Amino acid sequence: MLNKLAFAGIKSRLKDYVVLFSGLVMSSAIFYMFEALATNQSFIKNNTSVSGASFIFQLGAVLLTIITLVYIFYANSFLMSMRRHDYGMFMMLGAKQRKIGQLILLETVVIGVIASVIGILVGWLLTGTLGNFMMSVVIGSRLKHFSAFYLPAVVTTVGLYLGLFLIAGVVNWLSLTKTQVLQLLKGDQQPNRPVLKPVLQVVQVIGGLILLAVGYYCMAHVQTIGLFAILIALVTIVSGTYFLFNAIFIWLVLLLKRTSWATKGLNTFTLSQLQFRIRNYTKMLSVVSILFALALGAITVGIGFHRQIDLMANVNSPYTMAIPDATTVTQKRVDQLKLATKATYQQKETKTTVYYNAAELKTTPLQRVTTTLAELQKQHRSNVTVHYGTMSTTQLQKNPVDLELLQSGAQQTKIAKVVSAAQFARIKGTAHKLLVFRVANLKADQQALKTIQKGENLAAGTVLPGGYGMLVLSTAIYGGLEFMGLFLGIAFLAMLASCLMFKILSGASSDKQRYNMLNKLGTRGGILRRSINREVGVLFTLPGIVGVIHVLFGLQLFKLLMINPYDQIWIPFTIFILLYIIYYVITVRLYERIVLPEIQINN
Amino acid sequence: MNANAVVSVRDLHKTYGKAGEKQYEALKGIDFDVQPGEFVGIMGASGSGKSTLLNILATLDQPTSGKVTIDQQDVTTLKGNQIADFRAKKVGFIFQDFNLLENLTNYENIALPLSLQNMASSKIKMAVDAVASQLSIAETLPKYPTEISGGQKQRVAAARALVAQPTILFGDEPTGALDSNSARDLLEMLTSVNHEQRVPVLLVTHDPFSASYCQRILFIKDGKIGQTLHREGRTQQAFYQEILDALGTFN
Repeated sequence: MLNKLAFAGIKSRLKDYVVLFSGLVMSSAIFYMFEALATNQSFIKNNTSVSGASFIFQLGAVLLTIITLVYIFYANSFLMSMRRHDYGMFMMLGAKQRKIGQLILLETVVIGVIASVIGILVGWLLTGTLGNFMMSVVIGSRLKHFSAFYLPAVVTTVGLYLGLFLIAGVVNWLSLTKTQVLQLLKGDQQPNRPVLKPVLQVVQVIGGLILLAVGYYCMAHVQTIGLFAILIALVTIVSGTYFLFNAIFIWLVLLLKRTSWATKGLNTFTLSQLQFRIRNYTKMLSVVSILFALALGAITVGIGFHRQIDLMANVNSPYTMAIPDATTVTQKRVDQLKLATKATYQQKETKTTVYYNAAELKTTPLQRVTTTLAELQKQHRSNVTVHYGTMSTTQLQKNPVDLELLQSGAQQTKIAKVVSAAQFARIKGTAHKLLVFRVANLKADQQALKTIQKGENLAAGTVLPGGYGMLVLSTAIYGGLEFMGLFLGIAFLAMLASCLMFKILSGASSDKQRYNMLNKLGTRGGILRRSINREVGVLFTLPGIVGVIHVLFGLQLFKLLMINPYDQIWIPFTIFILLYIIYYVITVRLYERIVLPEIQINN
Repeated sequence: MNANAVVSVRDLHKTYGKAGEKQYEALKGIDFDVQPGEFVGIMGASGSGKSTLLNILATLDQPTSGKVTIDQQDVTTLKGNQIADFRAKKVGFIFQDFNLLENLTNYENIALPLSLQNMASSKIKMAVDAVASQLSIAETLPKYPTEISGGQKQRVAAARALVAQPTILFGDEPTGALDSNSARDLLEMLTSVNHEQRVPVLLVTHDPFSASYCQRILFIKDGKIGQTLHREGRTQQAFYQEILDALGTFN
């Protein structure tokens, strides 16, 4: 009988359950997709270019797991908010606590299992289509040995979700059996009367700001403090954000309530709505602002890495390729390119050393990149100009590292030495010719360069020295990072928005009565909607602003990996904020559909 | 039809259910007027249609046919925002379950109808203080509804209904959730408001004691007005007895 009642309860709130389900399905689909891409061993092994990114993917998986934990916590509280009243009623009708407990556990786990199974199916589909497409765009080639279905990923996803929902179910059970029946029935009606304690408030604000400052400082000085700094930053920024929200949010609401603006229209009501659940909201807003920062940061960094690829290829070496003993076929191919510079150097190779002819290096000097890192940081990534100069023989004699960098294969480990023409002639060793050249436009000749490199029959996973090789390598590494940044960014965004959505919608059932009362009192529909827009708008805007500030400071961290992480950040910011606004609109619409009285007489 | 009537109801019908489906006729032709300053009760068993009638009068529901005029305005032709504005300005409504917003203080609850009209906050304060002292709830103003008793809650609700100086005050079983002392307090307060401010009151109730405060009682049975009682100078005790007798024969 009770089971029947429980089922009827679900049926009557199908709309809310659809929201919950779609959120959970999306979350598990994202998790599966990431696992399938990041941990698929056969795929990683067979795509040498991807293996560099493997570690980064593991890191991403850990982050994603943490976020999923937070997410499920909110999803679960949303579920409970929908069921509290029903459970209270069952208890009032005389249902035993044990029975109710079983019911809660069963319901929570069943929802978890169904959501994760559907999620994996969706994730499978997405991995095969979207994931594959994204990977191929970023990494540059179609993927080999890639299958969208990967059993260990399925096991991990099901395991994680089942485990989390079991825990959630038990927690629900415990919390519910401890709650009085009356509280279950009237749960949300206890008003929260925040009192302004100016001293405490000020202490919290100052403390929060100090904690944030420490966190930001740590992120900017990771190089000197070490990786421990990231841990410190994580703790201080999270707690600092919480204190700041706790102090300022309450203060702001109470202050606004005293103004004459508050007495206009529904403003008092809107402010009271915020004040009513202020404690819950500060916690959630801190979490959301951190999630916001992670998501926006990941997307910014991801897009930043993409621009990094070209840059690395252009500034890494003055030459596009250095080919030892080029065949006639290769030489012909090279001549067909649009060349900026080209030279051939004699080499004599012994067991430990590669010798170069100083006379030759004098007539055709070796080139070098003269643009400094500092100059590059000032440039816009979209069109980088790199300047080249030449190196004198004496410079090379003193420090032949520029020559060593052009050596490949067996020569890679040997030292370079520049000797006079006479000495060069006397050295006994195998003679080689090193062909070096730079194309005018790396991007334009990429395909032809690929053919040339292929013709050289290199060992698997190695590249020829020079800009093109760097392009291939950095595409693998930064491409992986870029993919992960974008993927995690979108995943975090989706989850943070759903967290907010769940949190806001959790309160919707009790708000329903309030909006109904307001309707009876003669409040225009437009005014009701405006009140909702504002209330939800505040909840979206505040963590958004704080999140943006976090990101602006947090990007300091990436100075280790990127030349200028702040370059053109308006692009990812705009994309991200647009997506965020879409989530806001969806939340408002859903909220309105739940709380606004259904029969507004309009004839 | 009396030209002075504050409320005038003519041939009011309400049918639930769409055409072709199983239909239920809740109101089958109701006619009555409420004169300025009158205190009118509507009685009837549950399911008799009295709540439907009140909902239509308060523009919370729409009739299938018929005409309802309040303050010379045909309320059945109002649309969208007009309905909301009408409710806010012309109608005061006291509900059985108070319908106070528990996240607003009592002051804010009472001020709400005036805030909705974008009145200046100083004027709002004057109006709220006036109505609160009239109903003796001045000391509860800074509290929240959950912090006061049921009787006080209903007084706050009454203050909210009166603060915008409505043309008519509707009560939907306003004493239904109150103990007998609080109920008596509330009814006496309504009576004095009715006397002093000449606000007509229309009370829906099934409680004979509440009804005995009215000047005129309409009995509704099966969607029609079956009987009308007038107090006409009798003592409240005598009128109460008459209502009990009427209920005995009526049901």
